[in-house]
Amino acid sequence: MRIERDTERGRPLTLTVDGHSLTAFDGETLAAAMLQNGATFRRDTRGLDRGLFCNMGSCSECMVTLLPSGRRARACVTPASDGMEVRTDG
Amino acid sequence: MADRVDVAIVGGGPAGQAAALTLADLGVAATVIDEQLRPGGQILRQPPKAFRVTNWMDGGLYADLRGQLERFEALERVDWRGGRSVLGIARSGEEGFTVTLSSATGVETVEARRVLVAAGCQDLAVPLPGWTLPGVYAAGGIQAFLKSQRLIPGERLLFAGTHPLQMVIAAQVVEAGGRVEAVLFAQSQLSMVRAVAGAPFAAAAHLGNLLAAAGAMRTLRRHGVPVHYGVPIERILGERSVEAVEAGGRRWACDAVGLCFGFVPQSALPRMIGARMRPAGPAGGWAAMHDRWMRSTVTGLFVAGETTGVAGAPAAMAAGEVAGAAIALDMGLLDEAGAERLASVARSRREELLRFAALLDRIADPRPYFPSMDAETLVCRCEDVPLGRIEPLLDGRSANAIKLSTRCGMGACQGRNCEPTLLRLIGNPGEPGFAARFPARPVTIADLAAPPLRCD
Repeated sequence: MRIERDTERGRPLTLTVDGHSLTAFDGETLAAAMLQNGATFRRDTRGLDRGLFCNMGSCSECMVTLLPSGRRARACVTPASDGMEVRTDG
Repeated sequence: MADRVDVAIVGGGPAGQAAALTLADLGVAATVIDEQLRPGGQILRQPPKAFRVTNWMDGGLYADLRGQLERFEALERVDWRGGRSVLGIARSGEEGFTVTLSSATGVETVEARRVLVAAGCQDLAVPLPGWTLPGVYAAGGIQAFLKSQRLIPGERLLFAGTHPLQMVIAAQVVEAGGRVEAVLFAQSQLSMVRAVAGAPFAAAAHLGNLLAAAGAMRTLRRHGVPVHYGVPIERILGERSVEAVEAGGRRWACDAVGLCFGFVPQSALPRMIGARMRPAGPAGGWAAMHDRWMRSTVTGLFVAGETTGVAGAPAAMAAGEVAGAAIALDMGLLDEAGAERLASVARSRREELLRFAALLDRIADPRPYFPSMDAETLVCRCEDVPLGRIEPLLDGRSANAIKLSTRCGMGACQGRNCEPTLLRLIGNPGEPGFAARFPARPVTIADLAAPPLRCD
Protein backbone atom coordinates (compact mmCIF):
# COMPACT_ATOMS: atom_id res chain seq x y z
CA MET A 1 0.00 0.00 0.00
CA ARG A 2 1.29 3.43 -0.96
CA ILE A 3 1.68 5.90 1.91
CA GLU A 4 -0.22 9.03 0.92
CA ARG A 5 0.47 11.18 3.98
CA ASP A 6 3.17 13.84 3.49
CA THR A 7 3.93 12.35 0.09
CA GLU A 8 3.60 13.71 -3.41
CA ARG A 9 4.73 11.32 -6.13
CA GLY A 10 6.01 12.01 -9.62
CA ARG A 11 3.93 11.91 -12.77
CA PRO A 12 2.17 8.62 -13.69
CA LEU A 13 4.04 6.17 -15.91
CA THR A 14 2.95 3.07 -17.76
CA LEU A 15 5.13 0.00 -18.05
CA THR A 16 4.65 -3.62 -19.05
CA VAL A 17 5.54 -6.65 -16.94
CA ASP A 18 5.12 -10.06 -18.59
CA GLY A 19 2.74 -8.45 -21.09
CA HIS A 20 0.53 -6.85 -18.44
CA SER A 21 0.33 -3.09 -18.41
CA LEU A 22 0.77 -1.42 -15.03
CA THR A 23 0.82 2.09 -13.71
CA ALA A 24 3.57 3.53 -11.55
CA PHE A 25 4.81 6.98 -10.57
CA ASP A 26 8.02 8.68 -11.56
CA GLY A 27 10.62 7.97 -8.88
CA GLU A 28 9.29 4.53 -8.01
CA THR A 29 11.57 1.54 -8.34
CA LEU A 30 10.51 -1.25 -10.62
CA ALA A 31 10.13 -3.43 -7.50
CA ALA A 32 7.76 -0.95 -5.86
CA ALA A 33 5.70 -0.67 -9.05
CA MET A 34 5.46 -4.46 -9.36
CA LEU A 35 4.45 -4.98 -5.72
CA GLN A 36 1.81 -2.26 -5.90
CA ASN A 37 0.28 -3.88 -8.96
CA GLY A 38 0.30 -7.40 -7.58
CA ALA A 39 2.84 -8.55 -10.18
CA THR A 40 4.85 -11.64 -9.29
CA PHE A 41 8.63 -11.85 -9.44
CA ARG A 42 10.64 -14.82 -10.67
CA ARG A 43 9.85 -18.52 -10.30
CA ASP A 44 12.41 -20.87 -8.82
CA THR A 45 13.59 -24.27 -10.09
CA ARG A 46 10.69 -25.91 -8.20
CA GLY A 47 8.23 -23.76 -10.18
CA LEU A 48 7.29 -21.76 -7.08
CA ASP A 49 6.76 -18.00 -7.03
CA ARG A 50 9.46 -16.03 -5.28
CA GLY A 51 9.26 -12.52 -3.93
CA LEU A 52 11.45 -9.56 -3.33
CA PHE A 53 13.47 -10.12 -0.14
CA CYS A 54 16.15 -7.59 0.88
CA ASN A 55 15.09 -4.49 -1.10
CA MET A 56 18.62 -3.11 -0.99
CA GLY A 57 20.35 -4.65 -3.97
CA SER A 58 22.02 -7.35 -1.96
CA CYS A 59 20.10 -10.62 -2.45
CA SER A 60 19.21 -10.50 -6.18
CA GLU A 61 15.87 -12.25 -5.58
CA CYS A 62 14.10 -9.54 -7.58
CA MET A 63 16.15 -10.05 -10.74
CA VAL A 64 14.16 -9.38 -13.94
CA THR A 65 14.96 -9.04 -17.64
CA LEU A 66 14.62 -5.64 -19.31
CA LEU A 67 13.48 -5.65 -22.93
CA PRO A 68 14.49 -5.21 -25.66
CA SER A 69 18.10 -5.18 -24.40
CA GLY A 70 17.80 -8.46 -22.50
CA ARG A 71 19.79 -6.84 -19.69
CA ARG A 72 19.25 -8.50 -16.29
CA ALA A 73 18.53 -6.05 -13.51
CA ARG A 74 17.60 -6.05 -9.84
CA ALA A 75 14.11 -4.53 -9.72
CA CYS A 76 14.77 -2.96 -6.30
CA VAL A 77 17.57 -0.73 -7.59
CA THR A 78 16.09 -0.03 -11.02
CA PRO A 79 13.90 3.06 -11.45
CA ALA A 80 10.61 2.47 -13.28
CA SER A 81 10.34 4.42 -16.52
CA ASP A 82 7.62 5.17 -19.02
CA GLY A 83 7.24 2.49 -21.69
CA MET A 84 9.58 0.10 -19.89
CA GLU A 85 9.13 -3.56 -20.81
CA VAL A 86 9.99 -6.24 -18.29
CA ARG A 87 9.99 -10.03 -18.21
CA THR A 88 10.24 -11.98 -14.97
CA ASP A 89 11.03 -15.47 -16.23
CA GLY A 90 14.69 -14.71 -16.95
CA MET B 1 42.32 8.91 -21.07
CA ALA B 2 41.80 6.74 -18.03
CA ASP B 3 39.51 7.93 -15.29
CA ARG B 4 42.06 8.57 -12.54
CA VAL B 5 41.16 9.86 -9.10
CA ASP B 6 43.04 10.41 -5.85
CA VAL B 7 40.36 9.03 -3.57
CA ALA B 8 37.43 6.73 -4.30
CA ILE B 9 34.90 6.18 -1.53
CA VAL B 10 32.54 3.22 -1.82
CA GLY B 11 29.33 4.11 -0.01
CA GLY B 12 27.48 7.40 0.36
CA GLY B 13 26.18 6.65 3.84
CA PRO B 14 27.23 8.28 7.13
CA ALA B 15 30.84 7.01 7.02
CA GLY B 16 31.48 7.84 3.36
CA GLN B 17 29.92 11.30 3.73
CA ALA B 18 32.01 12.07 6.82
CA ALA B 19 35.24 11.12 5.06
CA ALA B 20 34.32 13.11 1.94
CA LEU B 21 33.45 16.18 4.04
CA THR B 22 36.75 15.97 5.93
CA LEU B 23 38.66 15.70 2.65
CA ALA B 24 36.68 18.52 1.01
CA ASP B 25 37.74 20.82 3.85
CA LEU B 26 41.32 20.06 2.88
CA GLY B 27 40.75 20.74 -0.81
CA VAL B 28 40.20 17.16 -2.07
CA ALA B 29 37.15 16.23 -4.15
CA ALA B 30 36.66 12.55 -3.41
CA THR B 31 34.81 10.32 -5.86
CA VAL B 32 31.88 8.84 -3.94
CA ILE B 33 30.18 5.80 -5.45
CA ASP B 34 26.82 4.44 -4.30
CA GLU B 35 24.29 1.94 -5.56
CA GLN B 36 21.44 4.34 -4.78
CA LEU B 37 20.90 7.40 -6.95
CA ARG B 38 20.94 9.73 -3.94
CA PRO B 39 23.31 9.78 -0.96
CA GLY B 40 22.20 8.79 2.53
CA GLY B 41 22.93 5.10 2.88
CA GLN B 42 20.30 2.72 4.18
CA ILE B 43 19.86 4.70 7.40
CA LEU B 44 18.81 7.82 5.47
CA ARG B 45 17.55 6.18 2.30
CA GLN B 46 16.15 9.22 0.57
CA PRO B 47 12.94 9.42 -1.43
CA PRO B 48 13.55 9.75 -5.16
CA LYS B 49 13.98 13.26 -6.53
CA ALA B 50 10.61 13.01 -8.32
CA PHE B 51 8.83 12.67 -4.92
CA ARG B 52 8.05 15.50 -2.55
CA VAL B 53 7.97 14.20 1.04
CA THR B 54 7.36 16.55 3.95
CA ASN B 55 8.47 15.80 7.55
CA TRP B 56 10.81 13.12 6.21
CA MET B 57 12.79 11.31 8.95
CA ASP B 58 12.19 14.16 11.37
CA GLY B 59 12.79 12.15 14.55
CA GLY B 60 15.45 13.56 16.90
CA LEU B 61 17.45 10.37 16.55
CA TYR B 62 18.23 11.27 12.94
CA ALA B 63 19.07 14.97 13.46
CA ASP B 64 22.89 14.69 13.38
CA LEU B 65 22.79 12.31 10.43
CA ARG B 66 20.46 14.59 8.51
CA GLY B 67 22.68 17.58 9.28
CA GLN B 68 25.66 15.77 7.82
CA LEU B 69 23.67 14.65 4.76
CA GLU B 70 22.65 18.26 4.09
CA ARG B 71 26.27 19.37 4.31
CA PHE B 72 27.31 16.57 1.98
CA GLU B 73 24.62 17.36 -0.59
CA ALA B 74 25.64 21.03 -0.54
CA LEU B 75 29.31 20.14 -1.23
CA GLU B 76 30.75 21.36 -4.49
CA ARG B 77 34.07 19.66 -3.89
CA VAL B 78 32.90 16.09 -4.39
CA ASP B 79 32.51 13.81 -7.42
CA TRP B 80 29.20 12.04 -6.70
CA ARG B 81 28.49 8.89 -8.69
CA GLY B 82 25.16 7.45 -7.65
CA GLY B 83 23.30 4.59 -9.27
CA ARG B 84 26.49 2.53 -9.62
CA SER B 85 27.36 -0.83 -8.10
CA VAL B 86 30.95 -1.69 -7.32
CA LEU B 87 31.74 -5.08 -8.81
CA GLY B 88 35.28 -5.33 -7.53
CA ILE B 89 38.47 -3.66 -6.39
CA ALA B 90 41.79 -4.95 -7.70
CA ARG B 91 45.38 -3.89 -7.29
CA SER B 92 46.63 -1.75 -10.16
CA GLY B 93 50.36 -1.09 -10.34
CA GLU B 94 52.39 -0.64 -7.17
CA GLU B 95 50.00 1.37 -5.07
CA GLY B 96 46.71 2.10 -6.79
CA PHE B 97 43.49 0.25 -7.39
CA THR B 98 41.15 -0.43 -10.28
CA VAL B 99 37.56 -0.05 -9.12
CA THR B 100 35.07 -1.68 -11.49
CA LEU B 101 31.54 -0.28 -11.49
CA SER B 102 28.34 -1.17 -13.24
CA SER B 103 25.37 1.06 -13.95
CA ALA B 104 22.25 0.94 -16.07
CA THR B 105 24.36 1.66 -19.14
CA GLY B 106 27.32 -0.66 -18.71
CA VAL B 107 30.61 -1.19 -16.93
CA GLU B 108 33.08 1.57 -16.00
CA THR B 109 36.46 1.50 -14.34
CA VAL B 110 38.04 4.07 -12.10
CA GLU B 111 41.75 4.10 -11.26
CA ALA B 112 42.09 5.30 -7.68
CA ARG B 113 45.23 5.95 -5.65
CA ARG B 114 43.36 5.32 -2.42
CA VAL B 115 40.06 3.62 -1.73
CA LEU B 116 37.80 3.81 1.31
CA VAL B 117 35.22 1.04 1.58
CA ALA B 118 32.28 2.16 3.70
CA ALA B 119 29.71 -0.18 2.21
CA GLY B 120 27.33 -0.54 5.15
CA CYS B 121 25.56 -3.66 6.29
CA GLN B 122 22.65 -5.91 5.39
CA ASP B 123 20.08 -7.93 7.29
CA LEU B 124 21.23 -11.35 8.40
CA ALA B 125 19.29 -13.83 6.25
CA VAL B 126 17.73 -16.48 8.49
CA PRO B 127 16.27 -19.55 6.81
CA LEU B 128 13.19 -21.23 8.19
CA PRO B 129 10.40 -23.28 6.61
CA GLY B 130 8.40 -21.03 4.28
CA TRP B 131 10.92 -18.22 4.13
CA THR B 132 11.02 -18.13 0.32
CA LEU B 133 7.30 -17.35 0.01
CA PRO B 134 6.54 -13.97 -1.58
CA GLY B 135 5.75 -11.59 1.28
CA VAL B 136 8.70 -12.58 3.47
CA TYR B 137 11.13 -9.69 3.76
CA ALA B 138 14.32 -8.79 5.51
CA ALA B 139 13.00 -6.25 8.05
CA GLY B 140 15.49 -3.66 6.78
CA GLY B 141 13.94 -3.99 3.33
CA ILE B 142 10.52 -3.05 4.72
CA GLN B 143 12.08 -0.03 6.41
CA ALA B 144 13.76 1.00 3.16
CA PHE B 145 10.33 0.96 1.46
CA LEU B 146 8.91 3.22 4.17
CA LYS B 147 11.76 5.72 4.07
CA SER B 148 12.32 5.96 0.37
CA GLN B 149 9.48 4.59 -1.75
CA ARG B 150 6.82 5.52 0.84
CA LEU B 151 5.23 2.11 0.58
CA ILE B 152 4.07 -0.54 3.04
CA PRO B 153 4.51 -3.96 1.43
CA GLY B 154 1.43 -5.66 2.88
CA GLU B 155 -1.94 -5.14 4.58
CA ARG B 156 -1.17 -7.06 7.78
CA LEU B 157 2.50 -7.20 8.70
CA LEU B 158 4.20 -9.29 11.35
CA PHE B 159 7.75 -8.86 12.61
CA ALA B 160 9.74 -11.68 14.16
CA GLY B 161 13.30 -12.14 15.36
CA THR B 162 15.63 -11.06 18.14
CA HIS B 163 16.73 -7.53 17.22
CA PRO B 164 15.07 -4.53 18.94
CA LEU B 165 15.12 -2.60 15.65
CA GLN B 166 12.00 -4.55 14.68
CA MET B 167 10.04 -2.48 17.22
CA VAL B 168 11.25 0.75 15.63
CA ILE B 169 10.29 -0.46 12.13
CA ALA B 170 6.88 -1.74 13.31
CA ALA B 171 6.20 1.65 14.92
CA GLN B 172 7.16 3.41 11.68
CA VAL B 173 4.69 1.17 9.81
CA VAL B 174 1.75 1.99 12.07
CA GLU B 175 2.65 5.69 12.15
CA ALA B 176 2.53 5.67 8.34
CA GLY B 177 -0.98 4.20 8.47
CA GLY B 178 -0.16 0.51 8.11
CA ARG B 179 -1.25 -2.41 10.22
CA VAL B 180 1.05 -4.65 12.27
CA GLU B 181 -0.42 -7.86 13.68
CA ALA B 182 2.38 -8.46 16.18
CA VAL B 183 6.05 -8.04 16.97
CA LEU B 184 7.51 -11.34 18.19
CA PHE B 185 10.78 -11.57 20.07
CA ALA B 186 12.22 -15.07 20.30
CA GLN B 187 13.99 -14.25 23.55
CA SER B 188 12.35 -13.59 26.90
CA GLN B 189 12.17 -10.09 28.32
CA LEU B 190 14.19 -11.33 31.29
CA SER B 191 17.11 -12.35 29.08
CA MET B 192 17.10 -8.86 27.54
CA VAL B 193 17.10 -7.24 30.98
CA ARG B 194 19.96 -9.49 32.04
CA ALA B 195 21.99 -8.46 29.01
CA VAL B 196 21.57 -4.79 29.95
CA ALA B 197 22.22 -5.40 33.65
CA GLY B 198 25.50 -7.16 32.88
CA ALA B 199 26.78 -4.30 30.74
CA PRO B 200 29.54 -1.93 31.76
CA PHE B 201 28.17 1.31 33.18
CA ALA B 202 29.56 3.41 30.33
CA ALA B 203 27.54 1.45 27.80
CA ALA B 204 24.37 1.36 29.85
CA ALA B 205 24.63 5.11 30.30
CA HIS B 206 24.56 5.65 26.54
CA LEU B 207 21.17 4.32 25.63
CA GLY B 208 19.79 6.82 23.13
CA ASN B 209 18.86 4.08 20.70
CA LEU B 210 17.20 2.00 23.39
CA LEU B 211 15.21 5.03 24.46
CA ALA B 212 14.10 5.40 20.86
CA ALA B 213 12.96 1.79 21.05
CA ALA B 214 11.04 2.72 24.20
CA GLY B 215 9.33 5.48 22.17
CA ALA B 216 8.50 2.86 19.57
CA MET B 217 7.04 0.71 22.36
CA ARG B 218 4.67 3.54 23.31
CA THR B 219 3.64 4.01 19.68
CA LEU B 220 2.90 0.31 19.31
CA ARG B 221 0.87 0.27 22.53
CA ARG B 222 -1.13 3.30 21.38
CA HIS B 223 -1.97 1.49 18.14
CA GLY B 224 -2.80 -1.73 19.95
CA VAL B 225 0.06 -3.72 18.40
CA PRO B 226 0.98 -6.64 20.65
CA VAL B 227 4.68 -7.17 21.41
CA HIS B 228 5.47 -10.66 22.67
CA TYR B 229 8.65 -12.04 24.19
CA GLY B 230 9.72 -15.67 24.28
CA VAL B 231 7.73 -16.37 21.10
CA PRO B 232 10.14 -17.81 18.52
CA ILE B 233 9.02 -17.94 14.89
CA GLU B 234 8.88 -21.55 13.69
CA ARG B 235 7.52 -21.51 10.15
CA ILE B 236 5.82 -19.32 7.58
CA LEU B 237 2.69 -20.69 5.92
CA GLY B 238 0.97 -19.90 2.64
CA GLU B 239 -0.12 -21.36 -0.67
CA ARG B 240 1.36 -18.85 -3.13
CA SER B 241 2.32 -16.09 -0.71
CA VAL B 242 2.38 -15.47 3.05
CA GLU B 243 -0.89 -16.28 4.85
CA ALA B 244 0.26 -16.92 8.42
CA VAL B 245 3.14 -17.57 10.75
CA GLU B 246 3.53 -20.32 13.30
CA ALA B 247 5.25 -19.04 16.41
CA GLY B 248 5.25 -20.07 20.03
CA GLY B 249 2.86 -22.92 19.22
CA ARG B 250 0.11 -20.81 17.71
CA ARG B 251 -0.89 -19.40 14.34
CA TRP B 252 -0.69 -15.69 13.53
CA ALA B 253 -2.52 -14.54 10.39
CA CYS B 254 -0.62 -11.97 8.30
CA ASP B 255 0.27 -11.29 4.66
CA ALA B 256 3.83 -10.03 5.10
CA VAL B 257 6.65 -10.94 7.48
CA GLY B 258 9.73 -8.92 8.42
CA LEU B 259 12.55 -11.09 9.74
CA CYS B 260 14.83 -9.20 12.14
CA PHE B 261 17.67 -11.27 13.62
CA GLY B 262 20.45 -8.69 13.26
CA PHE B 263 22.82 -7.28 10.68
CA VAL B 264 26.05 -8.33 9.01
CA PRO B 265 28.74 -6.17 7.36
CA GLN B 266 28.87 -5.61 3.60
CA SER B 267 32.51 -6.56 3.33
CA ALA B 268 32.87 -8.51 0.08
CA LEU B 269 35.14 -5.85 -1.45
CA PRO B 270 37.93 -5.76 1.15
CA ARG B 271 37.61 -9.52 1.48
CA MET B 272 38.02 -9.97 -2.28
CA ILE B 273 41.27 -8.05 -2.36
CA GLY B 274 42.72 -10.01 0.54
CA ALA B 275 42.32 -7.62 3.46
CA ARG B 276 42.35 -9.41 6.79
CA MET B 277 38.88 -10.07 8.20
CA ARG B 278 37.48 -11.17 11.54
CA PRO B 279 34.20 -12.85 12.48
CA ALA B 280 31.89 -9.88 12.82
CA GLY B 281 29.80 -10.69 15.85
CA PRO B 282 26.97 -12.83 17.12
CA ALA B 283 24.90 -12.37 13.94
CA GLY B 284 27.75 -13.71 11.80
CA GLY B 285 29.46 -12.31 8.72
CA TRP B 286 32.94 -10.85 8.32
CA ALA B 287 34.27 -7.49 9.43
CA ALA B 288 37.30 -5.82 7.84
CA MET B 289 40.12 -5.34 10.34
CA HIS B 290 41.83 -1.98 10.66
CA ASP B 291 44.30 0.04 12.71
CA ARG B 292 43.55 3.24 14.63
CA TRP B 293 43.59 5.17 11.33
CA MET B 294 40.98 2.86 9.74
CA ARG B 295 43.67 1.45 7.44
CA SER B 296 42.96 -2.13 6.37
CA THR B 297 45.82 -4.62 6.05
CA VAL B 298 46.02 -3.74 2.32
CA THR B 299 48.15 -0.62 1.74
CA GLY B 300 46.04 2.25 0.44
CA LEU B 301 42.73 0.55 1.27
CA PHE B 302 40.80 2.19 4.11
CA VAL B 303 37.64 0.84 5.73
CA ALA B 304 34.97 2.51 7.87
CA GLY B 305 31.44 2.10 9.15
CA GLU B 306 29.53 -1.17 9.22
CA THR B 307 32.03 -2.80 6.85
CA THR B 308 34.28 -2.99 9.93
CA GLY B 309 31.54 -4.39 12.23
CA VAL B 310 27.93 -3.33 12.72
CA ALA B 311 27.82 -0.53 15.28
CA GLY B 312 25.18 1.89 14.01
CA ALA B 313 25.17 5.09 11.98
CA PRO B 314 26.63 7.51 14.59
CA ALA B 315 29.66 5.21 15.05
CA ALA B 316 30.00 4.96 11.26
CA MET B 317 30.01 8.75 11.00
CA ALA B 318 32.81 8.96 13.58
CA ALA B 319 34.82 6.27 11.79
CA GLY B 320 34.41 8.14 8.50
CA GLU B 321 35.88 11.28 10.08
CA VAL B 322 38.90 9.28 11.27
CA ALA B 323 39.30 7.69 7.82
CA GLY B 324 39.09 11.11 6.14
CA ALA B 325 41.87 12.43 8.39
CA ALA B 326 43.92 9.28 7.76
CA ILE B 327 43.61 9.63 3.97
CA ALA B 328 44.66 13.28 4.24
CA LEU B 329 47.67 12.18 6.30
CA ASP B 330 48.51 9.57 3.68
CA MET B 331 48.27 12.20 0.93
CA GLY B 332 50.59 14.52 2.83
CA LEU B 333 47.88 17.16 3.31
CA LEU B 334 48.20 16.92 7.07
CA ASP B 335 51.08 16.04 9.35
CA GLU B 336 50.66 13.42 12.06
CA ALA B 337 49.81 16.02 14.70
CA GLY B 338 47.23 17.68 12.45
CA ALA B 339 45.60 14.37 11.61
CA GLU B 340 45.57 13.39 15.30
CA ARG B 341 43.80 16.63 16.15
CA LEU B 342 41.14 15.95 13.52
CA ALA B 343 40.70 12.30 14.45
CA SER B 344 40.92 12.29 18.22
CA VAL B 345 37.44 13.57 19.10
CA ALA B 346 35.79 11.26 16.56
CA ARG B 347 37.86 8.37 17.84
CA SER B 348 36.73 8.69 21.44
CA ARG B 349 33.13 9.23 20.35
CA ARG B 350 33.37 6.04 18.30
CA GLU B 351 34.80 4.04 21.19
CA GLU B 352 31.90 5.01 23.39
CA LEU B 353 29.43 4.07 20.66
CA LEU B 354 31.15 0.72 20.15
CA ARG B 355 30.50 -0.10 23.81
CA PHE B 356 26.83 0.59 23.22
CA ALA B 357 26.89 -1.57 20.07
CA ALA B 358 28.38 -4.42 22.08
CA LEU B 359 25.50 -4.11 24.54
CA LEU B 360 22.97 -4.18 21.69
CA ASP B 361 24.74 -7.28 20.31
CA ARG B 362 24.21 -9.01 23.65
CA ILE B 363 20.53 -8.07 23.80
CA ALA B 364 19.88 -9.11 20.19
CA ASP B 365 22.15 -12.19 20.05
CA PRO B 366 20.27 -14.49 17.63
CA ARG B 367 22.37 -17.61 18.19
CA PRO B 368 20.19 -19.44 20.70
CA TYR B 369 17.07 -18.68 18.68
CA PHE B 370 17.71 -19.68 15.07
CA PRO B 371 14.58 -21.50 13.84
CA SER B 372 14.82 -25.19 12.92
CA MET B 373 14.88 -25.96 9.23
CA ASP B 374 13.24 -28.85 7.34
CA ALA B 375 15.15 -30.93 4.81
CA GLU B 376 13.33 -28.91 2.10
CA THR B 377 14.14 -25.49 3.57
CA LEU B 378 16.35 -23.59 1.10
CA VAL B 379 19.65 -22.57 2.64
CA CYS B 380 20.82 -20.99 -0.62
CA ARG B 381 17.99 -18.98 -2.17
CA CYS B 382 19.83 -18.19 -5.41
CA GLU B 383 20.62 -21.78 -6.39
CA ASP B 384 17.69 -23.45 -4.59
CA VAL B 385 19.87 -25.64 -2.37
CA PRO B 386 17.87 -27.21 0.48
CA LEU B 387 19.23 -28.26 3.85
CA GLY B 388 18.70 -31.91 2.87
CA ARG B 389 21.39 -31.65 0.17
CA ILE B 390 23.88 -30.02 2.52
CA GLU B 391 23.43 -32.15 5.65
CA PRO B 392 25.06 -35.32 4.27
CA LEU B 393 28.18 -33.25 3.46
CA LEU B 394 28.65 -31.92 6.99
CA ASP B 395 31.51 -34.32 7.66
CA GLY B 396 34.36 -31.87 8.13
CA ARG B 397 34.21 -30.51 4.58
CA SER B 398 34.95 -26.82 4.04
CA ALA B 399 32.43 -24.19 2.90
CA ASN B 400 34.19 -24.01 -0.48
CA ALA B 401 33.97 -27.79 -0.89
CA ILE B 402 30.25 -27.79 -0.08
CA LYS B 403 29.79 -24.90 -2.50
CA LEU B 404 31.44 -26.92 -5.29
CA SER B 405 29.36 -30.03 -4.58
CA THR B 406 25.97 -28.36 -4.15
CA ARG B 407 26.20 -24.86 -5.76
CA CYS B 408 25.30 -23.40 -2.33
CA GLY B 409 26.74 -19.87 -2.46
CA MET B 410 27.36 -19.91 -6.21
CA GLY B 411 24.42 -17.72 -7.19
CA ALA B 412 23.83 -14.07 -7.96
CA CYS B 413 24.20 -12.92 -4.32
CA GLN B 414 27.71 -14.44 -4.20
CA GLY B 415 26.89 -16.34 -1.05
CA ARG B 416 26.29 -13.36 1.17
CA ASN B 417 22.86 -14.66 2.22
CA CYS B 418 23.70 -18.33 2.78
CA GLU B 419 27.26 -18.13 4.07
CA PRO B 420 26.40 -17.37 7.73
CA THR B 421 23.93 -20.28 7.74
CA LEU B 422 26.37 -22.68 6.11
CA LEU B 423 29.14 -21.73 8.55
CA ARG B 424 26.74 -22.31 11.43
CA LEU B 425 25.93 -25.76 10.05
CA ILE B 426 29.64 -26.57 9.57
CA GLY B 427 30.25 -25.42 13.12
CA ASN B 428 34.04 -25.15 12.83
CA PRO B 429 35.25 -21.88 14.37
CA GLY B 430 38.38 -21.88 12.15
CA GLU B 431 36.39 -22.19 8.91
CA PRO B 432 37.30 -19.23 6.66
CA GLY B 433 34.09 -19.34 4.60
CA PHE B 434 33.72 -18.89 0.86
CA ALA B 435 36.52 -17.40 -1.20
CA ALA B 436 35.15 -13.93 -2.04
CA ARG B 437 34.92 -13.57 -5.80
CA PHE B 438 34.44 -10.89 -8.43
CA PRO B 439 31.80 -9.58 -9.16
CA ALA B 440 30.40 -8.45 -5.81
CA ARG B 441 27.15 -7.54 -7.59
CA PRO B 442 25.50 -9.29 -10.56
CA VAL B 443 26.53 -8.14 -14.02
CA THR B 444 25.94 -9.52 -17.50
CA ILE B 445 28.81 -11.13 -19.39
CA ALA B 446 28.07 -8.84 -22.35
CA ASP B 447 28.64 -5.76 -20.19
CA LEU B 448 31.88 -7.15 -18.80
CA ALA B 449 33.13 -8.09 -22.26
CA ALA B 450 32.33 -4.67 -23.75
CA PRO B 451 35.08 -2.04 -23.61
CA PRO B 452 34.63 -0.15 -20.33
CA LEU B 453 32.94 3.21 -20.44
CA ARG B 454 35.12 6.03 -19.22
CA CYS B 455 33.84 9.08 -17.41
CA ASP B 456 36.42 11.67 -18.39
